[in-house]
Amino acid sequence: MAAKENFEPKILAFLCNWCSYAAADLAGSSRMQYPPQIRVIRVPCSGRIDPFLLIRAFNSGADGVLVSGCHPGDCHYLDGNYYARRRFLMLKELMQYAGIPEERVNFTWCSASEGKRFAAIVDRVVARIKEVGPWEGFDGRGFARREEEMAGGK
Amino acid sequence: MENKYLEISKKIQEESRKLLSEGKVERIIGFGRGEFTKEITPIFVSDPDRADELLFTPECDMMLAKYLLDYKGSKTGIVAKPCDTRAITVYLAEELIKREEVFIIGINDCEGLDDNDACEECGIRNPVVVDLEIGQPRKEEIDPEIKDELEEMTREERFEYFQKEFSRCIRCYACREACFVCTCDECFADSNQPQWVGASIGKRDNFTFHLMRAMHMAGRCINCGACEQACPEGINMRALTKHLYRVAKDVYQFEPGLDPEEKTLFATYKLNDSEQGFLD
Repeated sequence: MAAKENFEPKILAFLCNWCSYAAADLAGSSRMQYPPQIRVIRVPCSGRIDPFLLIRAFNSGADGVLVSGCHPGDCHYLDGNYYARRRFLMLKELMQYAGIPEERVNFTWCSASEGKRFAAIVDRVVARIKEVGPWEGFDGRGFARREEEMAGGK
Repeated sequence: MENKYLEISKKIQEESRKLLSEGKVERIIGFGRGEFTKEITPIFVSDPDRADELLFTPECDMMLAKYLLDYKGSKTGIVAKPCDTRAITVYLAEELIKREEVFIIGINDCEGLDDNDACEECGIRNPVVVDLEIGQPRKEEIDPEIKDELEEMTREERFEYFQKEFSRCIRCYACREACFVCTCDECFADSNQPQWVGASIGKRDNFTFHLMRAMHMAGRCINCGACEQACPEGINMRALTKHLYRVAKDVYQFEPGLDPEEKTLFATYKLNDSEQGFLD
C-alpha cells in the first residue's frame, strides 16, 4: 500500500467542451494555482459521458473521477446535462451502495466564466480523495505492484 | 395440481384454441411440460389442436416476455403473469414492440412463485396491460416493503460483502439471458471494441461486470428476481439493482413497467431533478 502522506492521486476529469473545459482554460490563462493531479478528458457534452466510462476508470486504477458540465439550463445542446444529472445521481448511489467511498465520485457544474470556481473545485476534489487514500481496486490488491511490474518488465 | 391452477389452465387452453383457430394470433407463447423431463418449460403453440398442451402451475417461473422480441412483425399471443405484463410495459415504453403485435392473456391474482424471494416484495398482483383476463382480479392493494438486508452494514462491510459475493461469479451470463431488460444487440460484456470489462474470471473484472450490469438495469429493472433464480452460484444478484429501484422510487417517484406511455427513467428529465450529492 502506498504511503498515505506522499500520495499523489490520479483523478480523471471529464469536462464538457463548452463550459467546464473553457473554465479550466480560463483558470490556466488567468494563472490560477490548482493541484496538478487531474487528467482532463474533453468531451462534447456531459450527456455524452457513459457511466460505464467512470466504472471503467476505477477498474483501471483511477483514484477518483470528476465530471463537470454546464450548469443546468446552460447546456450547449439544450438538455444534455439534464439527462446526465439523472444518470450520475444513480451512478453515485450505486457506487456508494457497492462500497466505493462517495468522495471518489464527484459531479459538479462549472460555467465558462468560472475559472476561479474550477480551481476551487479541483482543490476540493483532490483534498477529498487524499483523505480517503489510494484506491486499491475492486479486488483490494492495489495498483502499485502492477505499475512496478510494468515499469520493471518483471 | 390445485383446483385454481387447473381452472386457469383450462381457460388458457380454451381461449388459445379460439384465438389460434380464428387466426387472431399466429402463435401462443406459454408454459407446458417438456418433451422428456416433464418439467415446466416455455412452449410455442401455433396449431389449435396443440392448445391443450398449455398449462399454468405454481412452477411457471420463467419470464416469457423476452421471446416477444424474436417475433416482431407478427401477431403473437402470450400467457403473462403480472410481472410479464410489466416487462411488456417496459418494452412498449421503449418502443421495442408494438402494442398491436401482441395479444396478452393476463393471469389475475398472482400469488407469487415458490422459490423466488422477489415475489414477496412485489405489489403488482394483477396484469398491468392486458387483452384477456383470466381469473378474478385481486381487489385489495398490497404495498410490500422492498427489503434492504445490507442497510445495517457500514460501507466497508458492504464492499467486503460484495467482493465475496461477486468473487463466486463464473461469468456464465445466465443472469443476462434470464433478464428481460437485457435486450442490447451487443452486450457490453461481449464487446471488445471498446472492451468495457475483461472477459475472464477475476475479482476485479467480476465486480466491474456487476456494477455495469446494475447500471444498465437502472430505471428498467422491475425487481422480478429472474437473475437471482438463474444464477448457478446463488449470488445475491438483486442487491444492487434493488437498491437502484428503491432510489428511483424515492428520488424520482419512478417505477418502471407500470405505464406504457411513460418514458423510462433515463429517457426523460425534469427541470427540478434532485442534485443530491453533487458538489456545489
